[in-house]
Amino acid sequence: MLEIRDLTVRYGAFTALHALNLSVQRGEIVVLLGANGAGKSTLFRTLSGLQRPAGGSATWNGTSLTTGRPELNVASGVAQCPEGRLLFPELSVEKNLRLGAFVHRRDPAGTARELERAYDLFPALIEKRHAPAGSLSGGQQQMVAIARALMARPQLLLLDEPSLGLAPLVVEQVFSAVQRVNETGVTVLLAEQNAFAALSIAHRGYVLEGGRLTLEGTQQDLMTDDRVRSAYLGV
Amino acid sequence: MLQQLFNALALGGVYALVALGLTLVYGVMRVPNFAHGGLYMLGAYLTYAALTGLKVGYVPALILSALGVALLAALMERVIFHPLRNAPHVHPMIAAIGVLFFLEALISHPKVFGPDFKQITEPLPGIVNLGGVTLTWQRLLIIAASVLVMLGLNYFLKRTLTGATIEAMSQNREGARLVGINTNRVGMLTFAISGALAAVAASLIAPINAVTPSMGEVMNLKVFAIIILGGMGSVPGAIVGAFLLAFTEVFGGFYISLDFADVIGFAMLVVVLALRPQGLFRKGT
Repeated sequence: MLEIRDLTVRYGAFTALHALNLSVQRGEIVVLLGANGAGKSTLFRTLSGLQRPAGGSATWNGTSLTTGRPELNVASGVAQCPEGRLLFPELSVEKNLRLGAFVHRRDPAGTARELERAYDLFPALIEKRHAPAGSLSGGQQQMVAIARALMARPQLLLLDEPSLGLAPLVVEQVFSAVQRVNETGVTVLLAEQNAFAALSIAHRGYVLEGGRLTLEGTQQDLMTDDRVRSAYLGV
Repeated sequence: MLQQLFNALALGGVYALVALGLTLVYGVMRVPNFAHGGLYMLGAYLTYAALTGLKVGYVPALILSALGVALLAALMERVIFHPLRNAPHVHPMIAAIGVLFFLEALISHPKVFGPDFKQITEPLPGIVNLGGVTLTWQRLLIIAASVLVMLGLNYFLKRTLTGATIEAMSQNREGARLVGINTNRVGMLTFAISGALAAVAASLIAPINAVTPSMGEVMNLKVFAIIILGGMGSVPGAIVGAFLLAFTEVFGGFYISLDFADVIGFAMLVVVLALRPQGLFRKGT
């Protein structure tokens, strides 16, 4: 399981996360709701080893995620599909995916198998596999980004705002793909502003505001909570 | 006329090898490595030292020199550029200029090689007749070797996973870290490759030109012009820019005046940049 204890992250004098406590059980989809600047991406960057915390700990199945070496986090089963996708725009879709499996470079047979699964999950990518990733539509690029993270064969998938800037129909496709990935046993931590779509597939959720968790509960709790309804569901 | 064509091809091949290393390092580190000319100069001297000191043949000397400079370049990344990776861009630039001057002063020291030029004898003396065109074996060797090295580099970048990590890192550094690529290792590898390319280029052209401590500064000017022309960080841009500059210099020198060869080369740079400020191959962002 993912266990976050008193995690504090600072950028200079600004504290982005205040002693956060959060856990995700194996097999869950947990959604993290929050506005821009609430600290969602900071949390994700920290969990991927890109940002070192000022205090506290984050572990996945007991392995520390805060050593400051992202490649170790990927190798221990935590992969991120980041906000803004961060693809390699001039490389082909397939090369992007193969690089996603970089930590498994000594197992080409396994990578070939994962590549098959990625194309099964997102058949739209098959005919685009030799096209530069940057030439694809926003929705397809998001698919490449998710597939690239899955190529690392993660046990925990961190998904940062996958619906950002996508048409409603594409959002639906992306979220149903996330649900299918979860059904194969991958734990998912999902940061979203699109609360309705995210809550519809999540088991539990947290609300992050100004670097602090202000609310937590099951899907039902959050869906019916007045504060969530007014702030994130627009009801 | 045809003879000039071969001269331009040989010169362009050398420019391309040096410029490729520079553009790869820029792509990965986002830092213009002003010490690159120093590595080039060092490559020529290491070859000279291997030939005269170790008395090995030309090809083993070239390989030894490439390995030696590659190692030094990787060390330079570790000791100088890596600690400055989060500093403002001016800091690594100034450090690089410092390295260039240091290497030049070191080589010029009387107890090292001294300020006078050194001569490397041609491994294949004489000329060859290609359908009425005469050219030296050395120029033919330069053309063949530089094409071979460029094909090898292309294969490495496009067909191997390690090569792909270099391209990935230059296109999205953060993305590269997220898939588990060790960016430190890629940085060192890129520096090593750029050093080896510079050393090979210097060793190839050394038998035609003299080996001097200041040869690196001259080359620096030219390869920076080339990669600005081609687009900073672009691999095809470096190759096209190199041949463009070489052809302009050789044919400009031939038809107008040899004294004006450099003037014409840089005039072309100004014209191209006036029309396409981002360089020939850089996407307009």
